Amino acid sequence: MSATELLVLADVHAYYGNIRALKGVSLTVGRGEIVTLIGANGAGKTTTLRTVIGLVRPLRGSVTFNGRRIDRVPTHRIARLGIAQSPEGRHIFAPMTVLENLELGAFARTDRAAVAQDLERVLTLFPRLRDRLAQKGGTLSGGEQQMLAMGRALMAKPEMLLLDEPSMGLSPILVETIFDIIRDISQLGTTILLVEQNARMALRVAQRGYVIQTGRIVLQDSAPALLRSDVVRKVYLGEK
Amino acid sequence: MSDSRPVRLLPAVLLVLALLAYPFIDRWLQAQTVHAVTDAMIYVLLALGLNIVVGYAGMLDLGYAAFFAIGAYTMGLLNSPVLGSPLYGYPWSFWVIIWIAAAVSALLGAVIGAPTLRVRGDYLAIITLAFGEIIPVAIRNMGDITIDIGGWKPVERLNLTGGENGVNPVGRPHLPFVNFDTDFIPWYFLILVIGALSLWAMNRMRDSRLGRAWMAIREDETAADCTGVNPAKTKLLAFALGASFSGFAGSFYAAKLQAITPGAFEFNVSIMLLCMIVLGGMGSLKGVILGGMLITLFDRILLAQLTFFVRWIGRSLDIAALARVDLTLWRWFFFGFGLVIIMLIRPEGLMGRRLRPPAADVDEEEETRALVAAPPRPRADALPGWLREAMAPRRGKPGTPVLEVRGLTRRFGGLVAVSEADLVIPAGGIVGLIGPNGAGKTTVFNLITGLLRPDEGEIRLDGASLVGLRPHAIVSRGIARTFQSIRLFQNMTVLDNVLVGEHCRLHASVAGAVFRPSPVVEEETRARVRARDLLGFVGLGDKAAEMAKNLAYGDQRRLEIARALATEPRLLLLDEPTAGMNPRETDTLTDLIGLLRGELGLAVLLIEHHMEVVMGISDRITVLDYGVRIAEGTPSEIRRNATVIEAYLGKGYEQELVST
Repeated sequence: MSATELLVLADVHAYYGNIRALKGVSLTVGRGEIVTLIGANGAGKTTTLRTVIGLVRPLRGSVTFNGRRIDRVPTHRIARLGIAQSPEGRHIFAPMTVLENLELGAFARTDRAAVAQDLERVLTLFPRLRDRLAQKGGTLSGGEQQMLAMGRALMAKPEMLLLDEPSMGLSPILVETIFDIIRDISQLGTTILLVEQNARMALRVAQRGYVIQTGRIVLQDSAPALLRSDVVRKVYLGEK
Repeated sequence: MSDSRPVRLLPAVLLVLALLAYPFIDRWLQAQTVHAVTDAMIYVLLALGLNIVVGYAGMLDLGYAAFFAIGAYTMGLLNSPVLGSPLYGYPWSFWVIIWIAAAVSALLGAVIGAPTLRVRGDYLAIITLAFGEIIPVAIRNMGDITIDIGGWKPVERLNLTGGENGVNPVGRPHLPFVNFDTDFIPWYFLILVIGALSLWAMNRMRDSRLGRAWMAIREDETAADCTGVNPAKTKLLAFALGASFSGFAGSFYAAKLQAITPGAFEFNVSIMLLCMIVLGGMGSLKGVILGGMLITLFDRILLAQLTFFVRWIGRSLDIAALARVDLTLWRWFFFGFGLVIIMLIRPEGLMGRRLRPPAADVDEEEETRALVAAPPRPRADALPGWLREAMAPRRGKPGTPVLEVRGLTRRFGGLVAVSEADLVIPAGGIVGLIGPNGAGKTTVFNLITGLLRPDEGEIRLDGASLVGLRPHAIVSRGIARTFQSIRLFQNMTVLDNVLVGEHCRLHASVAGAVFRPSPVVEEETRARVRARDLLGFVGLGDKAAEMAKNLAYGDQRRLEIARALATEPRLLLLDEPTAGMNPRETDTLTDLIGLLRGELGLAVLLIEHHMEVVMGISDRITVLDYGVRIAEGTPSEIRRNATVIEAYLGKGYEQELVST
């Protein structure tokens, strides 16, 4: 295994509830890359992310992060190893203020000075959050909640960020903004695994992509190549 | 179902024979358990009544024993020769009083239910808990009532309830040739008949318009309201009907025991009844019967027998501690312990529906084919004929407004969510409502559907104002909606979800649901045919019997639309119907919306972020930003509007259009 591979899933099989959601998923994310995983509803995208952060345990196969097996490590320890997730549906803490939500993202950290720096960095990435610091999370608009969920994940100063459907339910202009920010986050040195329904936007921002279908990876290539591939154009981009 | 009927009836016949033979076998064996079993059946009847409130309507009631008390004291009050009211001395017949008791309990059920309509969950539990505490206290204190108005005492030392001593004796029922005085067997058969009739009635209620409404309220009250179910009326009916069964149980209890004291109706009775339901499986009639029987018989028979057995061991082995033990004092320990074990092993209860479906493997080949092949297009000829007929007379002249919104304003605290918004939807028109997140689009939906009241402004459907109407009333006037985050009745079948949609077009009453006269049977049959038609139309024809929560995401969205159509709307409000759908599903849904407009003349108001959808099918588009209408026009006007591009579409949108 080369040193540039940050996250490696090898032949992962997993159940989600009672459905065999993953049937031998293998994928790698290199350090500093943006990799996207695209697929239909129920194909296994979210289960893959949940397996990485330990909310779903694989029956078979392995998940390796930074050269270390993590498929039996408890979720909160995985978070400390440097993986943060911005979940689908956002799951922000509604009765807490934006600032408190962000501070909770850094809950596991002890380097307080660096935390203050990172708060500044997050607020620079998401200027809208700066205007809303004292507002309750639940009163934010959908787009702002998405930003807060991503900002909170970044407050853990993760090596790797998992994004689950960041564009869902957002207006076209906000979708653009969010993808611009994803690019910025990547340029600041965070590795990103991006799960998206909006395949076009995802493949534009990513370097590489995987297509998952009923629990198996059916296609993998560089993002530009996937954008040109017949199957992706027909099924995931809706071209006729 | 009909082919297997004889086979399925066999266990039922055997059960009936066993129930009929049991007391005589018991007497022959001299087991003397009939008394305890009869008591157990009283508690089962109570638990069944409580199950309507808790299991069907999903309202946690911690004070149900109060209704038991009310039933018992109604019997005591009217049928005892000893108390001091003017009625006493003229005891009424048992056969009359049990109906009065049921009616009084039902009435008080509704009275107690009324103030709790707005609360749910923890708050409801606390209020019912308080009610359960109040009734025994009131009964204790009503044994000695004196009203003193400045020395004038219209009522002096009136003994209404017997106070702490209770009522003793209470009259027995009288029937020619039946000995209720010294024999337990007639009591057993009496409660068996009452129980069987109650069960029959409950079973029919559950499978009716009313039962579906209860379950819809349990699953999602807001969604039920927006599907045409009146939550207040439905919940009150649950409280009243649930309580009425305890009226039967209570009056039977009083007459059988011949004496009642307030101590028999304390909090722990309510809790024991809840335990029976939880143990057996909430919402399952068989489960509640099983749970009730297990708990009472364990308490009344097994614990006593075990005590004898343990003492015998103690005496034989000469262990003094064992010889003196009384296991019945440990009953709550055993109940609690048993319940914990059951909840760990079978959280859904002994007979409850399994919370999770059996492990299913997806048929990969079929899935892959379905994904690559185009999904089935909605077809005009699949549109149910009855829906066309229902819509035809209400189809307005194209161009005349169906919905008119003028100067709509709504504030949340200091925030103005919607400000002076105007919106007109013509008959057969599709209007898009777009705008940045938080612009107030969903608030507009909530105002139109009655979930929120506007602070200012007018909302008119066919010229008649809707302001101030409750959501279910607005549904029956012809506005149906779907939700941004899908809100189906998760633990109901796909078919039942659509049938709840038809609720406001059906008429069966409580009595109709129980006695099923032919108009009700016809109505119900027709409703089911219609529901299946609608499912066929949206492409879910083969999934009617599945639980809604087990459907795939796209199917859930389509089911929500079928449920909305079942209310026979004139105007359909769709809140981001294609969110989370892949491009092909989105295409299908776009076609479906176009078809509804083209074939039925249905007017549609659409919130949507997928621009190809909004731009493709809308006649006109309204753009909101910060609650204010910033633009209105045809799709091509909106696309070029500088303000809209600035606030919503973004510069990239034009590039996007070029690239596709």
